[in-house]
Amino acid sequence: MITANEISLAQHCISHALSCGASAARVYLNKCVTDSYTILNGELDKVTHSADRSIYLYIFADNRYGTFSTNRLEKNELEDFIQRAIEMVRMLGEDECRKLPSPERTAKDAVTGLELQLYDAAYEQMDAGTRLANAFRLSRYDEIKAAEDGYRLISEECEYSCTSDDSYTADSQGFEGRHRETTFGTFSEMTIEDRDGNKYSGYWWQTSPRMADTDFDECGRKALERAVRQIGPKKRRSGRYRMVVDTAVSSRLVSPVITALNAASVQQKMSFLDGAIGKRIFHEGMTLMDLARTPGKNGSRLFDTEGVATKDTSVIENGTVRQYFVNTYQSGKMGIEPTIEDVSRPCLMPFIKGKDLESAEKAVSLKDILKLTGNGILVTGFNGGNCNPVTGDFSFGIEGFAFSRGRITHPVREMLITGNIVELWNNLTAAGTDARPSSRWQIPSLAFEDVVFSA
Amino acid sequence: MEKNIYLNIFKVTEPQLQTLAATALAHGGDYCDLYFEHTTFFNLLLKDGVVSSGGFHTDFGAGIRVLKGEKTGYAYSENTEMADMLKAAEAAAAIAAGTSGAGRSYARVADRKADLYPMKENWRDKGADAFLSFMKELETAVFAKDSRIVKVIVRLSDSVSDVMMYNSLGELTYETRPMGSVTVTAVFQQNGKTENRSASRSFRMGAELIGPGLLNELAEDAVKGIDERFEAIRPKGGQMNVVMGAGASGILLHEAMGHAFEADFNRKGQSIFSDRMGQQVCPKGISVVDDGTVAFNRGAGNYDDEGVPGEKTYMIQDGVLCSYLHDRISASWYGTKPTGNGRRENFRYNPIPRMRATYMESGNADPEGIISSVKNGIYVDEFSNGQVKIGEGDFTFFVKSGFLIENGRLTAPVKDINIIGNGPQALADIVAVGNDLKIDNGTWTCGKEQSVPVSCGMPTVLISSLTVGGE
Repeated sequence: MITANEISLAQHCISHALSCGASAARVYLNKCVTDSYTILNGELDKVTHSADRSIYLYIFADNRYGTFSTNRLEKNELEDFIQRAIEMVRMLGEDECRKLPSPERTAKDAVTGLELQLYDAAYEQMDAGTRLANAFRLSRYDEIKAAEDGYRLISEECEYSCTSDDSYTADSQGFEGRHRETTFGTFSEMTIEDRDGNKYSGYWWQTSPRMADTDFDECGRKALERAVRQIGPKKRRSGRYRMVVDTAVSSRLVSPVITALNAASVQQKMSFLDGAIGKRIFHEGMTLMDLARTPGKNGSRLFDTEGVATKDTSVIENGTVRQYFVNTYQSGKMGIEPTIEDVSRPCLMPFIKGKDLESAEKAVSLKDILKLTGNGILVTGFNGGNCNPVTGDFSFGIEGFAFSRGRITHPVREMLITGNIVELWNNLTAAGTDARPSSRWQIPSLAFEDVVFSA
Repeated sequence: MEKNIYLNIFKVTEPQLQTLAATALAHGGDYCDLYFEHTTFFNLLLKDGVVSSGGFHTDFGAGIRVLKGEKTGYAYSENTEMADMLKAAEAAAAIAAGTSGAGRSYARVADRKADLYPMKENWRDKGADAFLSFMKELETAVFAKDSRIVKVIVRLSDSVSDVMMYNSLGELTYETRPMGSVTVTAVFQQNGKTENRSASRSFRMGAELIGPGLLNELAEDAVKGIDERFEAIRPKGGQMNVVMGAGASGILLHEAMGHAFEADFNRKGQSIFSDRMGQQVCPKGISVVDDGTVAFNRGAGNYDDEGVPGEKTYMIQDGVLCSYLHDRISASWYGTKPTGNGRRENFRYNPIPRMRATYMESGNADPEGIISSVKNGIYVDEFSNGQVKIGEGDFTFFVKSGFLIENGRLTAPVKDINIIGNGPQALADIVAVGNDLKIDNGTWTCGKEQSVPVSCGMPTVLISSLTVGGE
């Protein structure tokens, strides 16, 4: 963890920057240790130990601004680094919008870094032997080889990783914030071959801030299941279909919306949501919250990069755009109130077209959504593609399954979906309650109607 | 002596390198290597007419890798104090602890022949002020090209890396790697519609890159095809003839075959090409290369990140799969020479097989003739990202612009479509190769586990069937 001496060093960076002529400064000190173990076909394949320590400096001088970083943390070297940084800042163009956030907007409650319960002290008790043993617990190689049925296991790669991350942010207006978290990650990828020699691969993963949440059996089981179920794909004709998107990949469809809500994109005319604040742009069933302050959940944080306090907010409410992500600089450039620099933990609220979910108070799973949707294509993976940030026009490769009367019939591949992201979200018919607990983006399984598929 | 310059940068001596290697092999590893890196990054951003943000970044450290059989132990230190590097060596050495059985042998490689990217002007010797006028002039030149432009964004970045590598075979190599990149984005508005275009250039070369020639090229490219972009339609989707224009179409090679030819995927049996060495994988006359020797190219390497000199590697020669892309591990496993493809993002990562500049050599066909031979299809010439599934061979790439082909002529412009295909099938479906190979010098970056700079190239090529996304 970050030591008192290292905090003093970070504070010294600020005072040294001011003494060299900076008008304001912010410092971000990060220490991160990761150990990872990879198991290939039941045998240890790779062991990696990473220990990083770096300082980022955000320097303001004469309405000019620059960002700098180094992992050379000797005091003398840092002082020279800061001196050169200020010299560079003074060469840049003047922009009066470059300033620190107002002190009243910064977080006051991130004192120990442990407030959000994202740090598991069990990390400190785990020795290398336990980590290695945990990695081996992920492997199901021998068991799968013994039970091969209709396929042959070509390879199994598993990875177990543990990370301890500690950061300290401070600025010349007196802000100090600390954030500490642990991450325990599991990953498994299976490659199989069917009787005709065709290969299929499937992967699964889980991350959690708490060691006790790790499910050592799920990763291998799900990875194998995702590989095996692709055997025997059939061609499907191009056309308009209903589309259900599995929670494992549904965030891909929210990502272009989040990008378009960034004030910098809007100000540079690079957003299809320019002028959207207060307008109903999406289907009224779409409500997207930023639940940044949920204890113990991946992605939660008490302050953003600028030190501005996060809060739980509506980003899109019943289809109406409520806020852009506006940092201090963009606030000045655009003449609008600042909010937060970017999204922390986006959560899409459940919805079923024509039903009042609040009174029903029930969980909505992928199975429920398939049943409600009836016929269509279930997307379980995206393969490439892009969304034009200016127009919202998208085209994505997909893989998944055809389904009929709510039941999966056969796998499909080499298909594409094409459309406009605003139109797509206006065709939303369902959003479940099954977002994966281990994901930072809480996006459940989704259903849309009238989606263009090419094959 | 040049060697002493690098030893001094990293504050180590040759006896200390030997001590570290001995420590790394203390538990019986077959081979170890040390990778020292000092990189300085510099960046400037012009928006709204002002270069109002920029900065520089320093990264310094040493990575230590131990190999035992195909197993890898890896650790690094963010300084080069002997005590810290010894700790990293001990951590990496642990991979071999308690293992028995035969190890693998590794052989010395020949040294490089020439410096592929000598710097006339070192980026480190230039201040920010040296580039401010260039960025402003580029912005002005772009605005002057088209009255519909409402915003221009210019990004300039460079990096210089001092790299020194030592291994348990006693090989000591060192070099300095420059990289300079400039990207310009223009936003256009017309009748209430907004469109944007970007142009970029990136080279392993010194600050002499920045000059009027580059400025004119970028300004020209930033507005090229904007009329078509405003008029562009989404084509009807489905399987069709696809003509890949010369240059950036090389993304097809990168995604459809390059990754599948990386030897780590093949060593583990995961690639769709794992058992196809020596087989005819595409029509005769087609040769596909991964080349680390193109001077000043973004993918060029005097050495890879294992100290192996860059080389020109034929993956496909006259239609036959003749080589995978090897790092030292896979080369030892296959009993062949490493091909100089062992690359890493920085000292925090162990090297793995990666592409460099991947391109298809020119064929004999006239590019105009290729287009005129297509009754109905699509011509594509500008791309952004791509992706591949190694086992299945299914690949995609995203087309930013192109044209419909109707009765042998380019007609309506198209944009923003994804194309999907299967690697082996797409290779087999190549029916014509143009005589106009062009290397694309944009800011291509490959993201397989780690980010590394690459480039790609292609002559005009006709593929008889790919699936095109559309209405």
